[in-house]
Amino acid sequence: MELIVLQSSNILMPALIGGGTALLLGIVIVLVFRFFSVEEDPMVEELNSVLPGVNCGGCGYSGCLGYASALASGEDSNTSKCTAGGLETAEAVALTLGTAPQEYIPQVAYVFCQGSGEYTTKRYEYTGTPNCASATGLFAGPNSCTYGCLGFGDCYDVCEFDAIWIDDGLAHVNSENCTACGKCVIACPKDLISLIPKHELATVNSCRNHWPAAATRKNCKIGCIACRLCIKACPVDAIHMEDNLAVIDQEICIHCGECVKVCPTNSISEGLLKGMAEEKALRAAAKAEKEAEEAAAKAEKEAS
Amino acid sequence: MQDMFKILFSVILIDNLVLSRFLGVCSFLGLTKDLKNSMGMSVAVIFVMLVSTAVTYPIYYFLLEPAGLGYLQTVIFILVIAATVQVLEAVIRKVMPPLYDAMGIFLPLITTNCAILGVMLINIQESYSFVNAIMSSLGAGLGYTLAMFLFVGVREKLETSDIPESFKGLPSTLVAASILSVAFMGFGGVIENLFS
Repeated sequence: MELIVLQSSNILMPALIGGGTALLLGIVIVLVFRFFSVEEDPMVEELNSVLPGVNCGGCGYSGCLGYASALASGEDSNTSKCTAGGLETAEAVALTLGTAPQEYIPQVAYVFCQGSGEYTTKRYEYTGTPNCASATGLFAGPNSCTYGCLGFGDCYDVCEFDAIWIDDGLAHVNSENCTACGKCVIACPKDLISLIPKHELATVNSCRNHWPAAATRKNCKIGCIACRLCIKACPVDAIHMEDNLAVIDQEICIHCGECVKVCPTNSISEGLLKGMAEEKALRAAAKAEKEAEEAAAKAEKEAS
Repeated sequence: MQDMFKILFSVILIDNLVLSRFLGVCSFLGLTKDLKNSMGMSVAVIFVMLVSTAVTYPIYYFLLEPAGLGYLQTVIFILVIAATVQVLEAVIRKVMPPLYDAMGIFLPLITTNCAILGVMLINIQESYSFVNAIMSSLGAGLGYTLAMFLFVGVREKLETSDIPESFKGLPSTLVAASILSVAFMGFGGVIENLFS
């Protein structure tokens, strides 16, 4: 009998202490959550469920929740910032908020450089790890223009949509495949890639160099030389000078093409579709060349 | 006084939480990809480490020890740490929103972090006084921070280097971590002689 009492008290004590601690902690948690509860706008939760929930950061906020709370608090009134969700999400967000849907302008990544091997030279022979980030570490890369594209394809490596292709040391974006996820924008160590509104005739100054004209002329045949002709030509004042570089405000630009006509170095280019047609022609040419080579090799083999 | 500093520095350098005791390795490998995340996590670990020591130490010496229930420490400590972190999260969220934004997402992660529980148990095992236990926890947190910061640098270097295909990702990371761990063995004996 004594043994049973002893044993039961041996079990009872720990059970009581353990259970008591758990109960006490539970009560404390409930009380704390009641006193310190933060009231959240139910709209945030609703908006968050409408957004795609991939937290890509394409909208400029830390994630979908960030964008949802900015929308709910009225901090941001633009309902079409979600690049991943596209038009559908923009409409759903507007519907949830009860506002009229805004015009949804899709975006596209664009490489602000045209300095391929044709227009630039190599300052030295780079033999290190073949990626842009490493090459940048060695005297800002082998390219004669230290602002320009290195063409090792850091952007190509991160692109999940097969939208980037490298040709003659220069990255290009295929605007058909691009979803404006912004990964290449982060990957480029030269900050050459930006998202621009996807407009058929988007006019951009495809250059990011801040050198004075003489240095630019010396190092790249197609760079912006800050001559200000485009500023004078622009009928809507969409172009301004930023440290020896003409920058076109995409929101003001009316795509008239006046600046493209006056640009002496062809630094300003027009049209995303033109780029795509070029790309198709180039790919077809490369394919034909390869096939011809193979055929020649085959014929040679047969002849011998 | 000397005791305190001896404990503090030996926990940071010789018995480094991550590199010698191999506690908290999951967060160490997961969050060392960039400096911002590792900083948030480190601050959260130091904070929770100190608070849970202050909570678990009295519980052990005023509740479990007198009742002869020392063997329940692991279970009770898990319970107490989890509850403390929950309470802390709610309080910080209400009282200090900026702090919550900075380390809010890391707090729930720490609830089940082995590093915290490990340090609590080591404090009891070594039968430290309360002040020494706090010092040991602070040191463990600082040691964790040191390991995190060192390893962020190592991994940034790894990112841009040309690694063989079979070693890409976790294998190269683990090899680097082991080398860092071996490097920390070099501190062995330094503290004993410094404070003797």
